[in-house]
Amino acid sequence: MHEFLAQLANGVELGAIYALIALGYTLVYGILELINFAHGDVYTFGSFTALVVLVALRAANLLHGAGLILGIVAALVVAILACALLNAGIERLAYRRLRKAPRLAPLITAIGVSFMLENLIELWQGAAPVPFPNVIPNPELEIGALQVGVQQIVVVALAIATMIALHFFVKRSRLGKAMRAVAQDRDASSLVGIDVDRTIAITFLIAGALAGVAGFVGGVSFGSAWFLNGFGAGLRAFTAAVLGGIGNIAGAMLGGFLIGLLESFSTWFIGGQWSNVAVFSVLILVLVFRPSGLLGESLPEKV
Amino acid sequence: MIYAYAFVAIAACVAIERFHNRKAKIAIALALAAFLAVGPRFYGNEAVFSILADAAVYVMLALGLNIVVGFAGLLDLGYAAFFAIGAYTYGMLASPQFGLHLPFWALLFLAAALAALFGALLGAPTLRLHGDYLAIVTLGFGEIVPQIFQNLTKYTGGPNGIAALDVPTFFGHSFGASVMPYYYIALVGIALALWISRNLRESRLGRSWMAIREDELAAKHAGIDVLRAKLAAFAIGASFSGIGGVLFAAKLALVSPDLFGFQVSVLIVSMLVLGGMGNIVGVVVGSLLLTIVNSALLPQINSLVDASFHTTLDLSNIHFLIYGAILVGIMLFRPEGLLPNRERRAELHHAGEAEAEA
Amino acid sequence: MSLLELAGVSKRFGALTAVSNVTLDVEEGAIFGIIGPNGAGKSTLFNLLTAIYRFDEGSISIGGTSIAGLTTQRIARLGVARTFQNLRLFGNASALANVMVGEHLLLHANIIDSLLDTARERRERAEAERRARELLRFVGIAGVDEHFARNLSYGTQRRLEIARALAARPRLLLLDEPAAGLNPSEKQDLLALIRAIRDTGATVLLIEHDMGLVMNLCERIAVLDYGEKIAEGTPSEIREHPRVIEAYLGAPT
Repeated sequence: MHEFLAQLANGVELGAIYALIALGYTLVYGILELINFAHGDVYTFGSFTALVVLVALRAANLLHGAGLILGIVAALVVAILACALLNAGIERLAYRRLRKAPRLAPLITAIGVSFMLENLIELWQGAAPVPFPNVIPNPELEIGALQVGVQQIVVVALAIATMIALHFFVKRSRLGKAMRAVAQDRDASSLVGIDVDRTIAITFLIAGALAGVAGFVGGVSFGSAWFLNGFGAGLRAFTAAVLGGIGNIAGAMLGGFLIGLLESFSTWFIGGQWSNVAVFSVLILVLVFRPSGLLGESLPEKV
Repeated sequence: MIYAYAFVAIAACVAIERFHNRKAKIAIALALAAFLAVGPRFYGNEAVFSILADAAVYVMLALGLNIVVGFAGLLDLGYAAFFAIGAYTYGMLASPQFGLHLPFWALLFLAAALAALFGALLGAPTLRLHGDYLAIVTLGFGEIVPQIFQNLTKYTGGPNGIAALDVPTFFGHSFGASVMPYYYIALVGIALALWISRNLRESRLGRSWMAIREDELAAKHAGIDVLRAKLAAFAIGASFSGIGGVLFAAKLALVSPDLFGFQVSVLIVSMLVLGGMGNIVGVVVGSLLLTIVNSALLPQINSLVDASFHTTLDLSNIHFLIYGAILVGIMLFRPEGLLPNRERRAELHHAGEAEAEA
Repeated sequence: MSLLELAGVSKRFGALTAVSNVTLDVEEGAIFGIIGPNGAGKSTLFNLLTAIYRFDEGSISIGGTSIAGLTTQRIARLGVARTFQNLRLFGNASALANVMVGEHLLLHANIIDSLLDTARERRERAEAERRARELLRFVGIAGVDEHFARNLSYGTQRRLEIARALAARPRLLLLDEPAAGLNPSEKQDLLALIRAIRDTGATVLLIEHDMGLVMNLCERIAVLDYGEKIAEGTPSEIREHPRVIEAYLGAPT
């Protein structure tokens, strides 16, 4: 029981991170029908920018008392901004020209961008994992039989707060409505006066910002950052997005938590070395048997 | 030295692509084959032919993937899985692992058949998926296969893989430590792969693939069994990779799971993209160029810079950057690849250039 | 004898009934027209005939074989070929290759033949190529053989698509708005072409907006409106039919 609850908490924590990344895939796919393969690496970039900020602040001996809170906020904000700009920059430089190209061209380009980012991050921070400053104190809390770390609570709370903010943004704000309109029908949107280029750029900004949050909480949660983190996390998050129904925001969150739980319980039951196999098997099974995902709708093929 | 061979091979390929006269093409191809076969008698050393043998294996892989991606239009991002299956076929059946020492030549065929079988097994449930989704599922498969080889330690040696693989023999003569036999086998392999690629492209099956690539619904209306045609593409493409895997494992005398990751699949996709998807000769040029850059040019630049500036660069670190830059740069600026075939050029450029050409 | 029989066929998309209880008999050797306002369900009907959609009720048989549950490629084997309202050519292949794909079912080369370029493969390819060139001439676009389909003019593309459909030697040819976007002289040529196709023994079922063309060409016409068949008869009967006049009120005839 004890172990079960611990794995549950673990899974929720992992799931929160995957859900944040999955939202980025789903937002972009919803609007461009593009699997932004580089998204996982934007997440990695977020971890490293937060890490660099925290290390610099620690070196300047600023991380205590109120400075600690400010430092954490600063790292989070820098990661968000850096990832948002990076993601929007990628869209502008690499994807925009290919909007009317055959469908495989943007995907191949995205893989290329992913490889370049991974390599550049490796050149910047080295090939070995870098320890992430341990800024959030982590006493264990006992809630009945459940033992959770403060860190876990912070990670999950931050992720859920971000998702709620995103939900209201997309549903209520003008920009959010424009995003949904462009996702529905790009040509019609431009006819009613929506600036499609700008809306797509903003979608990438938001997706990047979410990856920034994920990068920060991922760094806190795993205690390290590694240039290849984004590949595995990205694929898991993509699987989550597909599982929930790609293009569907609630689906991405649900999928994220499900994949997080799957990973944590498959690690518990059959060992961590099989978790990749478990996750990808889910991906393949979902795509084959229910490609529209748990919450997605299937549309008839246009003729 | 290696550049001499690569240059001649690439120049010949370009000439073949540019000439319109069929006899001239055949003559150049034969001259190139003769040069590559006889050349080693006069010029070159083991190190050079080791790289060229590796290059030749990659050419075979790229030709196989070209059938799937270039001909049938199915983006396969897990192609290295079939390479792994081929390599492990040799690793497990021609080594002390199980005490089985099956002959190299038989395993070439067995690996081709096994890879084809797994290609079909993967294809059967997934080929209904379109475009990007198929790409991601194949990627997942490509991640699972090496992981399984890594986890089944009892059979596969786990993360360390299997070492001390048998040295192949040819009518009782051991290959010994020389790389030359691999070089020649790979050359024959390329010749066969080229011949089969050409046959397929011109065939009834090849036209079915073209139709599926261009418009799957219209293909169905012509009575094409789309699923079967796609399965055939997957199986045939995979079989090339299976053979390549045996050659690779035998030459290295080693298999281990980390040799077949996603980066290998992307490397081969990069070769295709560089040379021009769908174009047989272009694919050969693309794979030669990339292998030479990887295994000869980068190390040389590395040592040159280190010697001149007393640095300790590690340029092997920038392989990903190069593949990535190739994928992005070609897709943005020359989507038809360096040596496009006419069909792809027309497809990937929006303006109708082929009108004037035809 | 009827080649194509529909009895009580319905197709719903959610709350919308796109085709409602349609019964139709098309005689072998006929040129049969289906007309109706936009959104009347004409294209949906075609899509039911080639199993792009599955019908919810009723039965459809072609040459006496029920097509319920058959896939598109199985239906092609029954001798059905079609063109599409928004052309679906293999744009980045030569006109010749487009037509040769149409011949797919006439050829027997298997995967081994294809791999090894056997004598059968080569013989069939030569024949297929010869027939394809002939067909291009038949539809009046000889000389574009090596051009890429996507670079041909619109009218030529329409004819190429017909040639590709004919390449399968269909018993039943479905033409989805073949005259759309053609100028008057091209329409005249099309008229002659469709008659010539019928004279080779094929049955032609066509959807068309151009009333002049339909009245001129078809022996029988069915009219759809809101998914229902509201009239069927000879061109002169249709012209006089009160419900047709009502449905087309204000529309050019």
